[in-house]
Amino acid sequence: MYIMASMLTNAFKRLQISTISQIRAVSSNTAPSNDSLVITRKDWKFPPTYTKPREVWIENIDTIEEKKIGLFELHPLVYANMPRIDIIHQNVTWQKKYRWVSWAHTKTRAEVRGGGRKPWPQKGLGRARHGSIRSPLWRGGGIAHGPRSGKTHFFMLPFHLRIYGLTSTLSSKLAQDDLHIVQNLELPTEEPEYLNELIERRNWGPSVLIVDDTDYAPRNITAAIDAIQHVNIMPVYGLNVYSMLKHDTLVLTVAAAEKIEERILYHLHSDTKQQQAKFKLDQV
Amino acid sequence: MGSRQIIEKSLSMLKSLPRISLSNIRDNPGSRKNYKRGRGQHGGDKHGAGNKGSGQRQNYMRLGYETGNNPFYLRVPQEQYYRGHHHRRQYPPLSLNALQAMVDTDRLDVTKPIDIASIIKSGLYTIHPDQKHYGIQLTDEGADRFAAKLNIEVQWATEPVIAAIERNGGTITTAYYDPHSLFLLKNPKKFFETGQAIPRRMIPPPDVIEYYSKPENRGYLADPEIISQERLKLAQKYGYQLPNLESDPDYNMLCERKDPRQIFYGLEPGWVINLKDECILKLKDEDLLRFYAS
Repeated sequence: MYIMASMLTNAFKRLQISTISQIRAVSSNTAPSNDSLVITRKDWKFPPTYTKPREVWIENIDTIEEKKIGLFELHPLVYANMPRIDIIHQNVTWQKKYRWVSWAHTKTRAEVRGGGRKPWPQKGLGRARHGSIRSPLWRGGGIAHGPRSGKTHFFMLPFHLRIYGLTSTLSSKLAQDDLHIVQNLELPTEEPEYLNELIERRNWGPSVLIVDDTDYAPRNITAAIDAIQHVNIMPVYGLNVYSMLKHDTLVLTVAAAEKIEERILYHLHSDTKQQQAKFKLDQV
Repeated sequence: MGSRQIIEKSLSMLKSLPRISLSNIRDNPGSRKNYKRGRGQHGGDKHGAGNKGSGQRQNYMRLGYETGNNPFYLRVPQEQYYRGHHHRRQYPPLSLNALQAMVDTDRLDVTKPIDIASIIKSGLYTIHPDQKHYGIQLTDEGADRFAAKLNIEVQWATEPVIAAIERNGGTITTAYYDPHSLFLLKNPKKFFETGQAIPRRMIPPPDVIEYYSKPENRGYLADPEIISQERLKLAQKYGYQLPNLESDPDYNMLCERKDPRQIFYGLEPGWVINLKDECILKLKDEDLLRFYAS
């Protein structure tokens, strides 16, 4: 018992140590190389009340070597909120289910061919009584309570659970150093090897999701991404919990990070009855 | 969503844990119940429904049925106090306490006249005009603590409520809206998107004309001269000093009233609001002007 307790306290001590290093928001081992760092302090419409904004580096992707372009602030309500694993899980299940139509199908005793005639008389043969050779008891008979096709699994997750799903995922990505901010998406070449090497050198994990605020991107990056299966690009309006989890690293442009922040803060501070009303169930 | 220390601690714990991915997330334990009918030792036998009878078969008799006796609920003759209550006009209550809370939390802009549209816009109060709701009844709960100065228009108010508003230098009007106008006030955007002209507000039905014509109720059909006399009378009755309205810097705002045929502040009946081009189409035709004139 005592050993268990001491192990636990040791574990907690280690945790405390990692808390201190947590304060540096997005990590990098390389020190800023150039002197002209752009440090942005932001004026939010809803400034953070109790927590400090998270500071992250703005990186470049036009060279393979990482260069720090500037410092950038992220709102803690969006990027350092409570990482609720259960809400993330509910979002993922919802995303899988709402568009899932199950086409599994079985025939009932009425739909199986034949079986209209009584196989043998009710009495006098010493055999079990049966009315149809397609009864569920028979081999080759119909299926009782089997799956019927075209069953939809659609449901709507409550609006705020969807919002908190996004903030939880973004926060956990940032806390685990899997979220990077880049200035823009300009690449010097459209060769996929360049992007592959950049990802490997910066330790971004094999799969990367790149998010921009527009739904058109520079030619070079789209050509490079087309050739690599596990690197994908997406506009802000397509951002979702499932895709963020499916990819190891999330790369946001500065504009995209700001847009996400603005939209989520707007919904967190507004009357959302309208959004919730549409899928509200009448009963119970 | 958790206190600050807990958020910081969770985020720092995440830092030393494996990356969250599709394969290592789960819901809270016990959040889903698996409804299965157990067999044998797992709750089998009678499945908790008891032995024999209507309990097991779950074909219960209807509530109050006494197996053929004249049931108790029918034995006593009825006196129908509430006969036809669903045809009456309903005024869902809003207390002065709740109104004060709306002002304190910036859900209401007191620099402008307040009507049912702005109160519904706050998101803390709603009505259903299709369920015979005819607007706001302002109740006197929290009248002693009420401290906001505002120009408010409600559909029903009592004497202590009027006194509480006027004691603070504000003004109150009671005004009638027909259900169609209330639909427009509840969701103006939805109506403007249809591209129809703003209709006229209907006059009140005969049984409430008297209420809305009385200066004691601050009715919108009453004579303003008599209302100002009544304000003084009420101040004397409740024993407070009536703030002088004429010397108030917000005099124009406090005295702004809608026309008896008008639904929205600043918009006249007959106008069309074009949300797409962000413009207002006003009336020019003589016949239409005559029709919409109050």
